Amino acid sequence: MSFGTMAAWQALALIGVAGAAAAWIFLVKVRPPRVSVPSLLLWRRVFDKVRELTWWERVRRAVSLAATVLIAVFLALAVTRPGPRRGPASEGRTLIILDSSWSMAALTSSGETRWARAVRQARALAASSGGGDVAIATTADGLVEGPTADMALIETAIDRLTPSGGDNVALPSVPGTDHVHFLTDGAAARSIDPAVTVHSVFEAASNAAIVAFGARPSPGGDAGGEAYLQVANYATTPREVRIVVSRGSTVLSDQRVEMAAGEAVSQVVPLAATGSARLVARIYADEGAGADGLAEDNEAVAWIDGADAVDVTVVSENPAALALLLQQDPSLKVTAVKPAAYVPVTSGIVVFDHWLPAEAPARPSLVVGPPAATWLGQPGAEEKSARWIGIGTHPVVAGVDSLTLDLKRVRAFEGKDLVTVAKSERGTPLVAIKDDRDRRIVVWSFSPADANLAFAPGIPVLFGNSIEWLARPSYGVLRHSGPVQLPASTARVVSPTGKPVTIVHAGDRTVARLTDPGLYLVEAGGSRGVVGVNVGDPEVSNLSRSSLSSAVTSRVGAGGAGWPWWMWAVLVAFVLVSAEWWTWQRRVTV
Amino acid sequence: MALRFEDDFLRKLEYLHVVSKRAFVGQSRADRLAPKRGRGLEFADHRGYSPGDDFRHIDWKAYKRLGRLLLRLFDEEQDLPIYLFIDCSQSMREAAKFDQARKIAAALCYIGLAHLDRVTMLPFDEKLGDETQPGRGKGRIFRVFELLERMETEGPTNLRDVFTQFASRTRQQGLAVVISDFLDPNGFEPAIKLLASMGHDIFAVHVASPADSDPHALGEVRFVDAETGEFRDVDVTPALARAYADAWKAHAEELERLCGRYNLGYVRADADQPFDEIILKTFRKGRFLA
Repeated sequence: MSFGTMAAWQALALIGVAGAAAAWIFLVKVRPPRVSVPSLLLWRRVFDKVRELTWWERVRRAVSLAATVLIAVFLALAVTRPGPRRGPASEGRTLIILDSSWSMAALTSSGETRWARAVRQARALAASSGGGDVAIATTADGLVEGPTADMALIETAIDRLTPSGGDNVALPSVPGTDHVHFLTDGAAARSIDPAVTVHSVFEAASNAAIVAFGARPSPGGDAGGEAYLQVANYATTPREVRIVVSRGSTVLSDQRVEMAAGEAVSQVVPLAATGSARLVARIYADEGAGADGLAEDNEAVAWIDGADAVDVTVVSENPAALALLLQQDPSLKVTAVKPAAYVPVTSGIVVFDHWLPAEAPARPSLVVGPPAATWLGQPGAEEKSARWIGIGTHPVVAGVDSLTLDLKRVRAFEGKDLVTVAKSERGTPLVAIKDDRDRRIVVWSFSPADANLAFAPGIPVLFGNSIEWLARPSYGVLRHSGPVQLPASTARVVSPTGKPVTIVHAGDRTVARLTDPGLYLVEAGGSRGVVGVNVGDPEVSNLSRSSLSSAVTSRVGAGGAGWPWWMWAVLVAFVLVSAEWWTWQRRVTV
Repeated sequence: MALRFEDDFLRKLEYLHVVSKRAFVGQSRADRLAPKRGRGLEFADHRGYSPGDDFRHIDWKAYKRLGRLLLRLFDEEQDLPIYLFIDCSQSMREAAKFDQARKIAAALCYIGLAHLDRVTMLPFDEKLGDETQPGRGKGRIFRVFELLERMETEGPTNLRDVFTQFASRTRQQGLAVVISDFLDPNGFEPAIKLLASMGHDIFAVHVASPADSDPHALGEVRFVDAETGEFRDVDVTPALARAYADAWKAHAEELERLCGRYNLGYVRADADQPFDEIILKTFRKGRFLA
């Protein structure tokens, strides 16, 4: 037997001393008050007469002594936390990896989650480390704590862990580790090193889940597009599932579907051209066919790109052409002003056509054929009949068909912090961007009037890209939670519950860790984009299968409400103290 | 403790006298009827003259009528030996209890002295203490008070040894008054039987205090025997307290029954009972005083 918090001899000594001390304290407990009586003659008669009382007193005393010693021993055990003796090879560093995929949040027949079982087993493994270094890692976060011999740190780290998805990447590793324990349900197939000790928390459970959900353009060419949804019943029995699809606060579809065991149903919901960009699908599974094992995959979110309205202010001496182009998009609310009437706007984006204000605008801006401005840069040499080359992967120029473009005249524009994303054959910058946390700016070195606007599809694409990037960039919907890379200009990420998410700026990227399912708002340079996280996935939601096979070393069974055994020892000690106190108050025990 | 009584109370005591169920032969003339005929004032009987009889007691009037010499006999009035056993053991150390015992002793002593009885005070614990005979006449009561005031509680109780020691000397039979709580670890019955076998008329005055019958403690206490110092840790539950009260009641009833069985006098004198009431009511009711 080994002990989690101290050496074996120390623990055994502590337990022995605690028990002996409790017995000694019981036997020499506070001397009762002295009462002088004329004679003990009558008391002796009383005790002789009530011999059964004396016998009962002995029983009470024995019970009290046993309870007192047990209390001390239980508390000592809770402190020392003995565990199974580990073999000689177990000395050294231990790495405990918890599978933090969403399937670990599934309920088991005992009412606890797979995660709770894994955590309990992780505590037991950490406690049985015998004073060696322990490291805690998860499949989503990698190394979380350690290696350390400080069990308090390990306990604290385990306490703050929750299932949070993660990719099916290789298991985390720590150099110099002698033993690796992997606690998993095997929902995700992984290549596991034979040296890794696998503890299975898998227990088959039925589940109904949204395994796919999103919004896409309608094949029929409708302006609004359509939402597609796939629901699966991972159960051995049929069940009725209610499927509700909402757009903003409007319910688009509410249906009840009788699903056979293992059946998956797909649903397509047409979307109107206008309305909220936020789509939510939710299912309510009939509990009669068995508990719904995983609640997290009963809801899915989607975001309709380009659906949320954007205010666009066009500042131009002759805004008619630009305004006409922009008004083709119903989600854009275009306002045209003359430069003389320009006042800084506080919402949406601004399009400056051959004019720039003296002060930098506070909002994202598309600058077309800009003049010199101290806050932006200086125009350079003019190039005739420029050929568009060097199209990069930046979202502003993505999908622009350069072959259809005919740029009759281009005036180079040089400015600090401007990054060229498209240039001419002669190297003249055609499209440049500035991506600061304060604002985003796109600079066109040419005017639509100098291009074959009416005939080239590349110009509207470039326009659309610029508007989207400046106002409402699309970050898509993730099928796994975890770290996500965002633009360097990302200033803030807000979780579905409205709380800010911690972001880390690293070079030209910003990384945010998205743990919970739902829609996250990303603010970058004045733009407001959305990134979604859905849990539903056939790999995660099918709780009746596991990829674990003979590699499993041990199976973690149900535990008492997920508590480690030493907490039960503390509870038993507390109950004994309470019972002893209660009975002592009533003169039942001594 | 001051044992001085009020004058009114002393006058009341003078009207009382100790009642003995039997008549005992005294030593001196007093006002208590003796079993023998003698030179008293009260005519008792006649008997025939025998040579040697005192001529002065010949009833000449009877001789004139009957022609026979008859001698007039008179009741002899002598004193009564009263032995006052006063328990001075540690079980009596409770002030109220011991004071009550000494007051009773003082009162009985005064009554005896007032009627010229021969009072002997016998303090005792496990053995008989120095016995004292204050003398005769109520004027000696102050000496009695002094003696009583000097008494202190000490040692355990052993009535049997005390009465055995008492019996070791030849004494006139008389009235033996035992003032005690009768908490004798060896039992009071053999001792009282021993005293009764000496031919004394015994009167038991059972002095008790409320603390004797009620432990006045609940919970875990260490009872210490006042006489022996022996202690016992007891968890006094209400049931145990009731059992003790019953045991004490049985102890008192046992003493009363014993006295009734052997025709001995018994009076219960509780420490919290007014002293006047004990002397003037309880003792008279118990036919100890009249």
